[in-house]
Amino acid sequence: MPDPDGRGMYCTDIDKDKVEKAVAQIHNGGRDNVIAIIDMLVPPGQGNDVKAHYALHCLALHVCKLDDDNQRRRFARAVASQLGGDRPKAVQRYLVRVMQVAGGREVVGTLGKLLVDEELCEPAAQALTAIGDGAADQFRESLPQAKGKCRLTVIQNLGVIRDAKSVDALKRAVTDEDQDIRIAAAWALANIGDPGSAGVLLKAADAEGWERIQATKACLLLAENLLAAGKNYEATRIYTHLRNTRTEPAERYVRDAAKKALTAASGK
Amino acid sequence: MQKSKRVTRRQFLKGSIGAVAAFTIVPRHVLGGPGQTPPSETFGGALIGCGGQGNGTFNGLGPNVEKLAICDVKFLKHADNKKVYTDFRRVMERKDIDVVAIATPPHWHALISIAAMEAGKDVLCEKPMTRFIAEGRAVAEAEKRYNRIFQVGTYGRFGANRERHKIMASGLLKECKAVYIKHGGLKVREWSGLVNAQPQPIPRSLDWDMYCGPSPLRPYHPHRTGGTHRGYWDYEGGGMTDMGQHFFDRFQYEYAKDDTSPVEIEAYAPPAHPEACGMWGWVELKYADGLTLVFDSEEWGERYNRKEDRSVSISDLDEQSQRKLREMPEPEPLVRFPEAIRTRKQAGGHAAVSHRCVSLMHLANIAIRTGRKIHYDPVREQIIGDEEANRLVNQPMRAPWHL
Repeated sequence: MPDPDGRGMYCTDIDKDKVEKAVAQIHNGGRDNVIAIIDMLVPPGQGNDVKAHYALHCLALHVCKLDDDNQRRRFARAVASQLGGDRPKAVQRYLVRVMQVAGGREVVGTLGKLLVDEELCEPAAQALTAIGDGAADQFRESLPQAKGKCRLTVIQNLGVIRDAKSVDALKRAVTDEDQDIRIAAAWALANIGDPGSAGVLLKAADAEGWERIQATKACLLLAENLLAAGKNYEATRIYTHLRNTRTEPAERYVRDAAKKALTAASGK
Repeated sequence: MQKSKRVTRRQFLKGSIGAVAAFTIVPRHVLGGPGQTPPSETFGGALIGCGGQGNGTFNGLGPNVEKLAICDVKFLKHADNKKVYTDFRRVMERKDIDVVAIATPPHWHALISIAAMEAGKDVLCEKPMTRFIAEGRAVAEAEKRYNRIFQVGTYGRFGANRERHKIMASGLLKECKAVYIKHGGLKVREWSGLVNAQPQPIPRSLDWDMYCGPSPLRPYHPHRTGGTHRGYWDYEGGGMTDMGQHFFDRFQYEYAKDDTSPVEIEAYAPPAHPEACGMWGWVELKYADGLTLVFDSEEWGERYNRKEDRSVSISDLDEQSQRKLREMPEPEPLVRFPEAIRTRKQAGGHAAVSHRCVSLMHLANIAIRTGRKIHYDPVREQIIGDEEANRLVNQPMRAPWHL
């Protein structure tokens, strides 16, 4: 693996063939080599792990290039086996990001357990959402235990992955005492396209300031999703409400957007 | 073929100001825009992101925009939430602001552009327009949903060769053998990131969590801010995205590729670092019609030698097609931002076309970062048959930020 140059970058003398050969050799050593590299990782500021850090990422890229899913899975399982234990949280954060590159369904259970860990929930959620397959169950199951930042992260990602099974929990969250939670839940319901959420979202859009802007966006997004699903009646109800209530000059653009959508929805 | 005239940012801004000054300013509410009270001869403006490029970007709004607010995450010490802000959401709540100039690092470009349009404001956003592909589509959807004006802060297309655009847009050329090679100028070494950055204390004036925003919360290091942020995937995409939108906005317009993207992308580069942008040699991007675009960095490895530069001219058409081309109307003139916000006509570098342009650099970077040849579906905007590469098309964000 290359040393950083005088500026602390990989800009000088970085040899593609040499790096790729080294990575292939490490890979051929199997799980033990992967763990040995992970053992070299340290939290930022507590030592020099530049080569190990780069090598592990190169391994992730390498297994994705092999066109052999068994090898990718073996690598992912080896890395995932080092999560949730005593390794420093900063090191685990990096391992989770390696999973975002090369992990698949085989690691979603391990990542799901991290969703309630204040220090790991954000990267774990991002890795799960990137993987997609099997992620919804993990988010849904973690929601009752998730607190603070983890809860917000889980709610948002339930919307990103459009988990229709979470609609009831998200509807409750729309009236949460935390504004970020309310906004995230409203958007999640809209992105899921739940026809039963129109009333909840329109009520949320009575708020003021930033929350009003965001809840109004959720209403428009929900209406678009309903229209795309052929649910014209529900979509028209949302647009009509926005057209009739956005009467202030500063909100004319919302009224205009609703009017335009109503015209399109009616086919005129 | 007439050689096209290059328009610099400075020349463009000068021209914009002149063009808009020739009109009588009409009250905003008469025009149907946001922030209609009270009728005014000027637009209320805000600058978000007040680094080196900020004032230049703000000037691009035109001469009739009054700066009512400035916002930057480094204003923790002196923000008053009246004129000076650290949180752009407070700026969006203001009804007297019609137009927003965005000059933050690029990981914030899409989210703030979308938020501004959701709040009814028009947007001039610095290049590169986005940090990854899905962001661009989301900005274009917001532009359409709210019928707002959006322009990205690069003006290559305004100086493009319009004859070439007309040929390509006419549909008369069935197969395109053109090859456009950009030699150098992509600042690869200059905008690389540190691979051994050690954490530093966060300056007291900086809201570091807000700076990181949708990107992973990393330990603070000054190299991740203040211009050198370009060297990190968390915030930009190296010199490629920093410079590419300038160069390829014009290319994309000339070759009439505003509504599509390349279908095959291949890079020659060493394995990429997970956080720091680094070296690459060249990237070849092929469109479905055969047009090839090449970025040759000239900064690492062997030079690109697969193909030679080859342009498109009227002689590529047979005589009948040339006659047809002459009978076709000339391309519509492109509308500059100050005129667009006044007339409510779509700006020349609006979101949908600028999204296609910055997608070129994102696709190139995906090929560099994965080390794989990628196949892209320009309609679905998805990479075909490579699930892991697709993860870079739409990257999950840190809550509460989302597209």
